Amino acid sequence: MWKKSKKVLALTLVAVMFLMTACKPKETTTTTTTTEETPATTTETPATTTEEPAATTEEPVAGELPRNETLYYAGLQWGAVNGWNPLSDDMNNALAITQAAGGSRTPMFETLYMYNMLDGSMNPLLADGDYMWNDAKTEMTVKIKSAAKWSDGTPVTANDVAYTFAANVKYATAQGSQLSPYIDSVEAVDASTVLIKAKLNDAGAAVNPLIVVSYLGQTYVLQEAWIKTLEARCNNDAGTVKKDKGEDVVYSGPYTKYYADDQKVVLVRDDNYWGQDASMWGKLPAPKYLAHTIYADNAAGEVALKAGEVDVCQQFIPNIQDLWLKDGLPISTYMPEAPYGVCVNMPTAWYNLSSYGLDNVAVRKAIALAVDYDAIIANAMTNQSPTFEQVPRSLMNPTPGEQAAFDHDAVKDLQWAGNDIEGAKAMLDEAGIVDTDGDGFRELNGTKLSYNASCPNGWTDWMAAMEIVAAAGEKIGIEITTNFPEWSVYQTVVTAASQSDYDIFMMWTDSATPTQPWGRIRNLLSSEYNGVEGNWSGNWGHYSNPRIDELIKLIPAESDATKLKEYYTEAVEIYLTDVPSFSLMYRPDQFHAVNESVWTNYPEMDDGNNIPPMILVNGYGIAGLYNIELVN
Amino acid sequence: MKGYKQYFRKKIIWFLITFVVAVLLNFILPRLMPGDPVAVITAKSAQGISDVSAVKQIYEGYAEQFGTNQPMYIQFFKYFKNALVGDFGLSFSQYPRPVSDIISSAVWWTVCLQLPAIIVGWLLGNILGALAAYIRKGFDKVLMPITLFASSVPAFGMAVVLLVFFAIKLKIAPISGGYGYDMIPNFSWNFIKSIISHYQLPFWSIVIISIGGQAIGMRSMSIYELNADYVKYSRFLGIKDRKIVGYVFRNAMLPQITGLALSLGTMIGGALVAEIIFSYPGLGTTLLAAITMADYPLLSAATLVITLMVLFATFAIDIIYGFIDPRVKAAQFD
Repeated sequence: MWKKSKKVLALTLVAVMFLMTACKPKETTTTTTTTEETPATTTETPATTTEEPAATTEEPVAGELPRNETLYYAGLQWGAVNGWNPLSDDMNNALAITQAAGGSRTPMFETLYMYNMLDGSMNPLLADGDYMWNDAKTEMTVKIKSAAKWSDGTPVTANDVAYTFAANVKYATAQGSQLSPYIDSVEAVDASTVLIKAKLNDAGAAVNPLIVVSYLGQTYVLQEAWIKTLEARCNNDAGTVKKDKGEDVVYSGPYTKYYADDQKVVLVRDDNYWGQDASMWGKLPAPKYLAHTIYADNAAGEVALKAGEVDVCQQFIPNIQDLWLKDGLPISTYMPEAPYGVCVNMPTAWYNLSSYGLDNVAVRKAIALAVDYDAIIANAMTNQSPTFEQVPRSLMNPTPGEQAAFDHDAVKDLQWAGNDIEGAKAMLDEAGIVDTDGDGFRELNGTKLSYNASCPNGWTDWMAAMEIVAAAGEKIGIEITTNFPEWSVYQTVVTAASQSDYDIFMMWTDSATPTQPWGRIRNLLSSEYNGVEGNWSGNWGHYSNPRIDELIKLIPAESDATKLKEYYTEAVEIYLTDVPSFSLMYRPDQFHAVNESVWTNYPEMDDGNNIPPMILVNGYGIAGLYNIELVN
Repeated sequence: MKGYKQYFRKKIIWFLITFVVAVLLNFILPRLMPGDPVAVITAKSAQGISDVSAVKQIYEGYAEQFGTNQPMYIQFFKYFKNALVGDFGLSFSQYPRPVSDIISSAVWWTVCLQLPAIIVGWLLGNILGALAAYIRKGFDKVLMPITLFASSVPAFGMAVVLLVFFAIKLKIAPISGGYGYDMIPNFSWNFIKSIISHYQLPFWSIVIISIGGQAIGMRSMSIYELNADYVKYSRFLGIKDRKIVGYVFRNAMLPQITGLALSLGTMIGGALVAEIIFSYPGLGTTLLAAITMADYPLLSAATLVITLMVLFATFAIDIIYGFIDPRVKAAQFD
């Protein structure tokens, strides 16, 4: 028996060795796996790519990505890619498909304009020149660049823009559902002219012209012919359309799919990209490949960045300055000094206004006064945020554009920098909220004030912030205990129409988008979200103030700058008086740490290029891909 | 032979009962977790949508597709019926990817990492244990304490130590992944080399900590058996040492085989730490992601795979025991 198995084993070993020697890299027939995964739609030779992918033949060694032609990412993709269909919201394909108001990711699919959060500008991509409103600001005209082409060589036309919008609405995609309350239709006047008609209110004015502008830099333009192919194979069924993997998708961007599995996703440059035309970039982006390894967690991504296996890292790295100051690594950020990045988001602690005592403004403001924000910024954010002394709190993020939107002197007395224990105590004493039974905690009408402070488990910077909030409560006689549920549970509770589980809890706010700071006011204060099940839009504490709702309606339609400033100042006054929530820190939209061991000349603050720190793929940040250079 | 037949029949009946109960628990337990996974995937589509009815529509669309709007027992029968043909439905966390696709692409990494690691750890452990019992000297005084020390290090600790020492400090091993960060899978020597070098740290992190436990078990059993009456009696009878050693081994190995079978059965859960520390693809990380995302279909399927492996392993032990140790079979009929 044993002899027999020995024979079998020996035969198997010989077979394996034979197979291994037969498949040395020199042979051209070694692309078994790659060929299957290589896109069938590579521009010029769609029929032959399955046989011999162009990219593979040029490589020195089959199956290896040359280091000096590849830009590696970390911190965007956390699981296998599902597909390449931009009409689906479930492709889990961060590098290729991310449509966001703050600047969509455009290496593969493109938008009409690219948003630049540094100056709020909209830079033409598929569009030609600036967009034009009519006098009544109800219709907008956008021209399409004559050079713009699809990957199959056909021109990008106004019909594609119109058909894409209609498809988004028809199939109720996130883009369609989000924009259809504000955009009535997108029409093709002729092959190169798009007319965007805003939805009008009863007064005949656009419901919200800001969101119409936002659409330009947010929603991808897809090819009409491809959408029709997709619809035909899915029998126009919305569910099937949104589940389709879109392997045959036609794109207009400089990169296309090259390889994807459970461990990585790789995009390859399309050297026929239309954007090398002088009317756009005038050249191709520098890296031939964009690759993203799928790491198990932040720690693994950080180790890879330090080892030089990652070039651009979109992860929060505590004490990032240590990487170059102590470890001497060639790693840098957008700014050489703290806060190291452009902070546009404001992670906020929300009060559940239906929790006992939190409907009392004295309690809300006292807790907010007592919190040691400097400790949060120093410990939780390791100084990667301006302090509230540097940028006093309001509804606006620290960017100069937003800071100029309101009258700073008018709200000066309402702002607080925190750690004001005596002030908080005095405020509670004055409101008659004192410790009557001697247990060290204050009571309101005989009931002890006791709350939990919640945020998702594992979000370490947020957890540290919540601990500091809890400590502040302790100091002023309000019992606050921390509570860290899993994200899957946390988000269901927070987005519910009403909840009694969390008293003080953290969520983010809007970042920099074309609708700001209006969007953030709505996000933080609008009562339109009250009672909404699955509310992902904001006002999670369920605050309600008719004047704020009125301001949210007035601001988008207002074009008089003075009036606008008045409205914004009033909103800030109300927010700082009522304290329905309070920001704990400022934070970038995308963390932007780069390792300069292979590539250099990354965008930096004040380098004269005006490229935002958006990891070289979001919005106008993609301009960075055309500027980076090899170190050697 | 009649005794064996009855013994097998009894075992098979128990096996089936356990299987049905396990499938039921696999279905129910994940669904008792707090949180609503349909809301989680709705969130991906619903961010930024202010239209109330639009969000509700998206939610209901997903609920319809996953059948979570139906009563639990209908969901169960549907699940059971589909599971029989290997269809576990679509994953919540990686929607619209089918669960069977996720599992089939992950399971091979886990099996190829764990199976050799467990067997190598088991073999080394048993050899060391036996040598420590027979030869003593250096094996018992030096090697045993060292392996015991190593096996008392928690799995994640061992993995991190190996990672920091060999990958980060010495830079002689890759830091993460199943193959090179700069590779595209293909059938070439470079790729195979890359797979092998990425295999080393996760593999040894499992082997090193499993040697000690196996060795100490084997050592105690061997010493016990060496002093057993039948050994002394055999010696009196003048039976050759080699023959006696054979008896001793057969008896000492019994609990070790149980240990091996059980660790083979539970290998998927055991791979978790190595897979996470080294970002190694596999079912362990998939399972963890499924738990944190409340991904019922994926969780049920992954736990079902584990259940089946444990069940088959214990079933196999029971059957094999019946042959190699007639006392076990006999005990069943007492």
